Amino acid sequence: MDREPGPPAPESVVVAPVSVDPDVALMLRVQAGEQSAFQDLFQKYSPRILQYARRMLASDARAEELTQDVFVQVFRFRARYRPESRFSTWIFTIATNLCLNELRRPERQLRVDLWDDRQDDGRREGPSLADPAAVVPEEGASSRELARRLDAAIRRLPEKQRAALLLSRMDGLAYQDVAGALGCSEGAVKALVFRATQSLKAALREFL
Amino acid sequence: MRCGRARRWMAAAFDDELGPRRRRGLDRHLARCEACRDEMAVSGRLAEALARLPATAEVPAAVEQATLRRVRVLAAEDDERWSARALWLRVLLPALATAGVVVVAALGTLRMPAGRQAERRVAERAPAAVAGRSEKRVEVADADESTRRAGHGRPPGPPPALAAAPELFVDLPLLHNMEKLEHFEAIRTTTLDDDTPGEEPQSNG
Repeated sequence: MDREPGPPAPESVVVAPVSVDPDVALMLRVQAGEQSAFQDLFQKYSPRILQYARRMLASDARAEELTQDVFVQVFRFRARYRPESRFSTWIFTIATNLCLNELRRPERQLRVDLWDDRQDDGRREGPSLADPAAVVPEEGASSRELARRLDAAIRRLPEKQRAALLLSRMDGLAYQDVAGALGCSEGAVKALVFRATQSLKAALREFL
Repeated sequence: MRCGRARRWMAAAFDDELGPRRRRGLDRHLARCEACRDEMAVSGRLAEALARLPATAEVPAAVEQATLRRVRVLAAEDDERWSARALWLRVLLPALATAGVVVVAALGTLRMPAGRQAERRVAERAPAAVAGRSEKRVEVADADESTRRAGHGRPPGPPPALAAAPELFVDLPLLHNMEKLEHFEAIRTTTLDDDTPGEEPQSNG
């Protein structure tokens, strides 16, 4: 069943007053009808959302569409946002719900299966994911190889493990917030992250 | 400590969620278990590699433009919805209210004669209802009834009952229209020799 994109569950609410989280102030301005505030939020969060969606969906084109969808949902449901929750938690919850919906679509399964058959040929759907060499140019070839394989291993993780790992390790969300985004308990999130890291270690042992 | 538990505690240690007592226990285990020491080192290198992965991607300008365009369309739709609601509140609601008032007024006008008939029936029943209160009143009611039958015309003289007690009868034109008075009953049953304390002149001593 599709997950309803929208605000996080009440149990994931974290106290985030305006003074602590400047994004809350921006979001309140969006609620008041300021389109420039929405643009500011887009510029601040779209690079993170796009990268998250790329890793979740393994498709640049779909990740770009999904990034648009996330921000359209932010605008559409702006009245539902409550400043008691962090804006980053809220937007990543929307992004996660949309990603999981996308991954569970039947036509998506067919597309991924076809794509998986071609993986061994080194062919990818759309342009490559983040180029590690561009980010860490001083690193040697082994580090670049590790980064490339790590990205590939993350994409092969089960979707919930992948989401839990990315949200907690890459996007810096607290376990409690990840639990809210995934609709499970904090303990379940820790277990997901533990299993994900065990899988990554097993897959990359020769490079670590 | 077994290696399985030590590996779970390693994960907690990386999250800084391991208490000092458990941390000491883990350190003691690592000191004597080479496999777990290696595992801890691999976990550290994996954490570093994850931290080095870029957390952001460059957003193509087309994506930003498309998003903002969609949001502008949404905002325009919201505005239209609000305008429609405002139109409803400003024009349609008052128009409906006016129509309602007109309908109520029309219904009231149509039902008016029936109301008047009811009032008349009540007025007719009233003298009979009070007839048994006293003999004197019955006589007055009879006199009044005969007056009413005469078509509200001025009677030629007082009825016999009143003629026998002229102190009870004052022939005022007002009394011939008693039916139309709101306090008809009170006035009709009041006799001139009633002593109401309020009408007594004030005595100074």
